[in-house]
Amino acid sequence: MRLLHLLSAVLLFPSALTSFVAAADTPESVQLDNDYDESLLLKTLPGNSVLASFRFVSNGTFNDHHHTVFPRSLAQILEHSNARELHLKFSLGRWDAEQWGAQIWDGHTGGGTGVELWAWVEADDDAAADKRWTTLTNALSGLFCASLNFIDSTRTIRPVLSFQPEGHHANPDRLHLLHGGLPREPVCTENLTPFLKLLPCKGRAGISSLLDGHRLFDAQWQTMSIDVKPVCNSDGSQCRLQVVQTVDMVLDVERSLQRRDSPVPKPRPLDQLNCDPTRSYGSGDNCFPQSNLADLPWSLSEIFGRPLHGSCPLGTTDVCVVAPADRQVFASQASAEIKTGDKRCYTLPQKSDFDLLLPRQSPPLPIEVTPPPLYASRSFTGHGQERGGVQAVIRNPSPTETVKMIYLESLPWFMKPYLHTLKTTIPNSLVDLYYRPNLDRQRGAHLEAALEIPPNSTLTLTYDFDKSVLRYTEYPPDANRGFDIAPAVITTDKGYQIRTTSLLLNLPTPDFSMPYNTIILSSTVMALAFGSVFNLLVRRLVGAEEVPLRGQKLRGLVAKIKRLGEGKRKAE
Amino acid sequence: MSDAKIPPSDTPENARTRSWVVLSFWSVVLLLGVPLWWCTTSIYRAPLPLNEMQSWANGRACRAEFPLLVDVEAPLLPDPEHLLKTVQHALDDANDFSAHHLRLRLSRSQSETSGKDGRSVLHSTQLTSPSDGHSDEDESVAAILRLTPGESGSTHSYQLNNSSRVIDLYYSPSYNPSSTASSTSLSIFISNTLQEIFAEEQQMISHLLSSATSAPSPSPSAPGTTNSSNGSNKVNVAEVQRKMSRIMRYSPTYHLTFSLFTASGTPTSWEIERSIDDYLQPLLDALSGISNFTVDSQVQFYASMSPNVVPSWVPDNLEQSENLQQNGQPGKWVLKRDDLSSFINSAEWPLASITSYPTINFIVYVPLEEQTPLYISESATNAFLLPQWGGVMVLNPSKPTTHLSKDDLKPALDIFAAQLMSLLGAPSHPPSLPIRLDSLTRQRSAELLTSASSTLGSLYRLTKALPSISIPTSVSTSVGSTLSSLNNACRELKRGRFSGPGGALEEGRNAASQAEKAFFEKSMVGQVYFPEEHKVAVYLPLMGPVGVPLLMSAVKEIMKLIKDWKIRRAGAVAA
Repeated sequence: MRLLHLLSAVLLFPSALTSFVAAADTPESVQLDNDYDESLLLKTLPGNSVLASFRFVSNGTFNDHHHTVFPRSLAQILEHSNARELHLKFSLGRWDAEQWGAQIWDGHTGGGTGVELWAWVEADDDAAADKRWTTLTNALSGLFCASLNFIDSTRTIRPVLSFQPEGHHANPDRLHLLHGGLPREPVCTENLTPFLKLLPCKGRAGISSLLDGHRLFDAQWQTMSIDVKPVCNSDGSQCRLQVVQTVDMVLDVERSLQRRDSPVPKPRPLDQLNCDPTRSYGSGDNCFPQSNLADLPWSLSEIFGRPLHGSCPLGTTDVCVVAPADRQVFASQASAEIKTGDKRCYTLPQKSDFDLLLPRQSPPLPIEVTPPPLYASRSFTGHGQERGGVQAVIRNPSPTETVKMIYLESLPWFMKPYLHTLKTTIPNSLVDLYYRPNLDRQRGAHLEAALEIPPNSTLTLTYDFDKSVLRYTEYPPDANRGFDIAPAVITTDKGYQIRTTSLLLNLPTPDFSMPYNTIILSSTVMALAFGSVFNLLVRRLVGAEEVPLRGQKLRGLVAKIKRLGEGKRKAE
Repeated sequence: MSDAKIPPSDTPENARTRSWVVLSFWSVVLLLGVPLWWCTTSIYRAPLPLNEMQSWANGRACRAEFPLLVDVEAPLLPDPEHLLKTVQHALDDANDFSAHHLRLRLSRSQSETSGKDGRSVLHSTQLTSPSDGHSDEDESVAAILRLTPGESGSTHSYQLNNSSRVIDLYYSPSYNPSSTASSTSLSIFISNTLQEIFAEEQQMISHLLSSATSAPSPSPSAPGTTNSSNGSNKVNVAEVQRKMSRIMRYSPTYHLTFSLFTASGTPTSWEIERSIDDYLQPLLDALSGISNFTVDSQVQFYASMSPNVVPSWVPDNLEQSENLQQNGQPGKWVLKRDDLSSFINSAEWPLASITSYPTINFIVYVPLEEQTPLYISESATNAFLLPQWGGVMVLNPSKPTTHLSKDDLKPALDIFAAQLMSLLGAPSHPPSLPIRLDSLTRQRSAELLTSASSTLGSLYRLTKALPSISIPTSVSTSVGSTLSSLNNACRELKRGRFSGPGGALEEGRNAASQAEKAFFEKSMVGQVYFPEEHKVAVYLPLMGPVGVPLLMSAVKEIMKLIKDWKIRRAGAVAA
């Protein structure tokens, strides 16, 4: 019923009629000819999830103060801080590699939980680079309404092996790579609004019109990334400053639809529950929910809460859907379909709204996912408040190929690892190691390990660390919550990047009224000592029976009051 | 109970020892404890020349003077000295604001080579930095007055060139130096002309100086100013205030942002770079003696006006009803005057810059195709100025276009140039640009002087009002250099050296920046608030238990002393 209703409402017709095959597959190559390009890739994932990947590419010019599609605010920041290449990521949630497979764009758009920033800054020496890095973080903090200004020297590292510049640089020798992260930063709409403002069409037209904070931050996993780099065409004759903005998210279709049907979540009536009748314990009042009975129907306007308002007139717009070939896809009337394998791309109408509809499919079609080159997870081991341990489990699922990778860990200064405890479970897997120990309150520890994992095996990397006791004022207001530890970054030799989740470290937390207690206690002790010495010196010592009866008067007074009280009682 | 065993009587030595003990405790407290406490808890306050600061803030320290030198060239006039004297007299009589006065001088070129006409002088003073042509002279010339006989039968008249500071004054050929009437009429005409040219500057400067000092200074525009009738003086004050309120605070550098805001996706490009080079750069170069400028530009698409700004449709033919607008009825969209204050959609429009110096924004707004043409009511230029912020112009492309050419942008940039001048505070009156720039230099010097003085005054009041803030040495050195710069600036003003290295403008700039540096010293802001309750909470646990026995014993000793003294006196009296 709902499907029919939708069909009549949006005026869709099967795009299969107009489909034709085109060979061109949009490559990740350098797009230099246009000032601006945008593309949206939708991909159905197992478990009724949809991956939506928005990509906006704007090209600007170098050393020029006149900007068209390249955002002026960003260009100013880059100029002031002498940053030549910049990568800024805002992420939330966890990419479920077991279910969804490899990350899109080889994981290059995904950042660690919270905010992650790395940049190549041009400077004469390290001190100058640090200064410019501070300028950069402060300016970006203002631009994106994020606490990036808290990336200070204790959170900044200079990775040696993990990151390589992606752009074409004129004098790479003068570039300094700096990297910092804020795992605790809550990414929210106040970061999305400035992100959208950088786009030439500002969420008014084109695919950016779908981006809505309510849906984006409701996703199971989402990341916003901004990558600025100088790019040149193959013969190096033409170079431009390119900013690539991406928003990737995994939406749970069921959750999105539920939000549409009942904005206030409430339990489903019993007759609408999908119970598994084969389970013996699930009979009667108990219900064992059955999942994946069908591929749920969804449309763009349903999962994003708003339709797509035409195309952005400033550049080309692509909308593509990757879904099993047998699954039907309906598009709005004024659009043409280009089909390549299981990828269907659509041209957008200039002014009118555009929508896509995938109808209900039961039983669900199997979706093939490409497995990632590695699976990784990281956790704390040990107990107590004095020391602990870290264990990273990395699995190579490939049956034939050995994977070479670099494991990067950036630890806060109050977490002091012991390098001699660094162990891997597979012998001879540790190829290379770069370690820069921490200095209290100046810099954190920085660990990079080049590892080799043989096919179909699991490597566990462990090390122990000491927990420091912080100073009274160094604790945050919610000290008992713990301290977030930035995710580890794993880069394979083929350029694929995975980030583990962040960790929550519990440090010994003092009682914060302690200084006042100490002051009062020590004052009391001092006063006691002083009082007894002073009294000994000043008082005159006499025998007990020689004490003049000083209390005589007082005693008489008390007796008088007593008598008075008795007299009153008698009168009553 | 027991019939009271009396304790052995206290020996006088014991009593004396006890007194000594109490006394020594107290002396330790007073001589060691209190100074120690004082030293460890007191706040460092560097000495500041408070009196001097206050006198600058009150405007007593310096009586700013703006002597303007006018060179007079009169190659064909017999006895020019006499005429100059009369004109100078007339000027001095008419001038009631003594800080700003005109001084006439017979041109040196005339006294040296009398046959030469003034061409060479004109060349040397053409539209360049004010002091360029006069680097050999100590004092800069504000204007050159060239007296030449006019055509026969004409009356006195004058003419100003746009690009030089030469005033061509044509006197009537019937002028006869020996006739008193004739010479008086010419001298009055000359003095009126000069006053008219410098009237606006004089008003601005007197307003600046008077508003800066709370003490009443000579009334800025008293009756008798020759160029304005008595009735319009009040209007003039309001006008000057309006002009002053527009002016951006002085800064050695300004950032100019030119933005093209389009309500839709078109036009997509504009020839702003070439337009700025051709139409605006000459002006910016001319202004470089006062402030420097950095320029950038941007294009923003889909920039809508603030939601509460709704233009209304006005058909050309008023008899037609309003709902005919869809039928291609000619007409226009009109923005009301009230809408302009909220025209800038600051929530949506990315106009902020990260530069440390102020930004002046100039916006070309291209409305939606459906709302074209869009006009601002009662505006001939279709542009408006936002005080201390920038300028906006609504541009209606003649046809839907994706590119704005240099010619399309020329009107906009001409308006922006005029707006820039008034945002910087240049007087609008004399058409000659060099004279206006000179005026601007003097005005900015006055502004810097007053702003530095008032910053010093604020610092003075701050240090008086908050005794608990610390004053680091850097503040005291900054204040010192501010004061010396202020003194230099004041001296240079009196000497008439306004621009150039070491001139009043540069000294004023130093003074203002040093004063700001002193006032916004970071470590002074840090610990302004340290509540008294905290101190009590920290001191009481120690001071209470220690203080009470000390105090009690002191009281006891004093009582005993008084008692002894009384007994001794009674004994003496009895004896």
